[in-house]
Amino acid sequence: MSDHEQHDDGHHGSNVGKFVMVFFALCILTTISFIVGNSEALMQNTPAIGRFLMIAVSCAKALLVILFFMHLKWEANWKYVLTIPASMMSIFLLVMLTPDIGCRYSHYSEERLLFAADPETSDHDSHTEAGHAGDAAEEHPTH
Amino acid sequence: MSEHEHDHDDHHGHVHLEYQPALPISNGKTCLWLFLSTEIMFFAGLIGTYIVLRFGAPPGTWPGPHDVHVVEFWGALNTFVLLCSSVTIVLAMEYAKMNKAGMAKSFLFTTFVLGWVFMGVKAYEYNSKFAHGIYPQKPRSLIYEKADVYYVAAVRQKLSEYLLSDEPTAEQHAQVSALLDVVRWVEVTAATDSDPVARQNAMDVLAYLIYPLHRDSDTVLGTDPEARLHELVAEWKSFAEKQAAATPAVEAAPAADAETTVAPATKADLAALIPSVAQMSEHQGLNELLNSESHWITLPMKIPSGNMWASTYFLLTGFHAIHVLVGLLMFGLVLPLELTIAKAGLLENIGLYWHFVDLVWIFLFPMLYLF
Repeated sequence: MSDHEQHDDGHHGSNVGKFVMVFFALCILTTISFIVGNSEALMQNTPAIGRFLMIAVSCAKALLVILFFMHLKWEANWKYVLTIPASMMSIFLLVMLTPDIGCRYSHYSEERLLFAADPETSDHDSHTEAGHAGDAAEEHPTH
Repeated sequence: MSEHEHDHDDHHGHVHLEYQPALPISNGKTCLWLFLSTEIMFFAGLIGTYIVLRFGAPPGTWPGPHDVHVVEFWGALNTFVLLCSSVTIVLAMEYAKMNKAGMAKSFLFTTFVLGWVFMGVKAYEYNSKFAHGIYPQKPRSLIYEKADVYYVAAVRQKLSEYLLSDEPTAEQHAQVSALLDVVRWVEVTAATDSDPVARQNAMDVLAYLIYPLHRDSDTVLGTDPEARLHELVAEWKSFAEKQAAATPAVEAAPAADAETTVAPATKADLAALIPSVAQMSEHQGLNELLNSESHWITLPMKIPSGNMWASTYFLLTGFHAIHVLVGLLMFGLVLPLELTIAKAGLLENIGLYWHFVDLVWIFLFPMLYLF
């Protein structure tokens, strides 16, 4: 395994060319996500597809950087020990946050409605003690 | 004792004690990779939290890039700069391996410069947020979640403070006092109108005029926004005239509110002050139009979920920028060295760290600029 690295040292010239190729691939991928992100049709009609595409492109870019620039393609099996558990931990974190934080507005409780950001759905303001507003500090919409 | 043994081995050259290292890589590289695996979890935590908060925000409230002065071009430019720096640092290492110290140094220097370009663009972007009153935290932050009485109170306070300060020119003074008439109208309507929808709408109109969010146009100004705006301006004018008629009686007593001390004659024409809807379509509300010549006042803005946006944006980009700075520090320390083959391992380790910083930006760019 370890002599892969030494073997790799043998052909330097081709490596520089390889890195430049990877760089161009990365530039093209960046352009793709830029076009997707700015395409009105995609981001307004089917934003989920647009976002999925952009994340897929990002993953492809990340893979290119990791494999070639960070040389993981040529490393021994230790690479799995370090990268896989770390990646799993990060995915777990996302999954663990989802029920409590990610879905906190799927069901509006009375209290959440009161402090929600969106005024269009929230008609329950009763902040009568707003000092600065002077005589305007009356209650407003309650349906 | 050990020296003796050493000599002994050397002398005979028969006994070779080979110590198999735990990993087929240098200790430095092992440590760096261990560090990077913790970094993966660190940034995955931040990015994951951002994703969860963004998609868990009240439906339809998360501000789009243009709502908060995020310009895709600068993000794309920074992505390109980081990609270039990634390829230059890897080439620096390659040339160091070939023992071409000069080439290695010039590539390392290019990386160093590109890193600073990234930081420069980042600073410019941060500054454009700060100039618009977008901060992660009060008291500087002017972001309000919704147009309620707190919001109207904040607008009044900002205008009054400005009126009482020495800064305003005669023209600005007139504009501010005219705007205070609108605020007064909003307050009175929000407090006394018999129709609850009209009460909320008065406050929404104020928020929309100051900082128009595109998606709010229909709900705030109705199907014919331009006509509704004319109607509102006429209403404000008659309201202001009524206020002015009542003023002399108030002026006898010590004035409590700032705007009662201003003679009605010095007020700006409301119709000229309030931008037409056509002008406002590109987020060109009062905040932008008042500041078209010089930056003198920024009023509180209604950006639903804007506070959460600001917190996550500054946290993510801020931590990334700190990592870039650390990378630049390392480049600065390594640059004076002779980058021969002996330093190839060092360059590889720094390169690994730098690629990781690039990797994080690869995910941040679409999420913060394009989503």
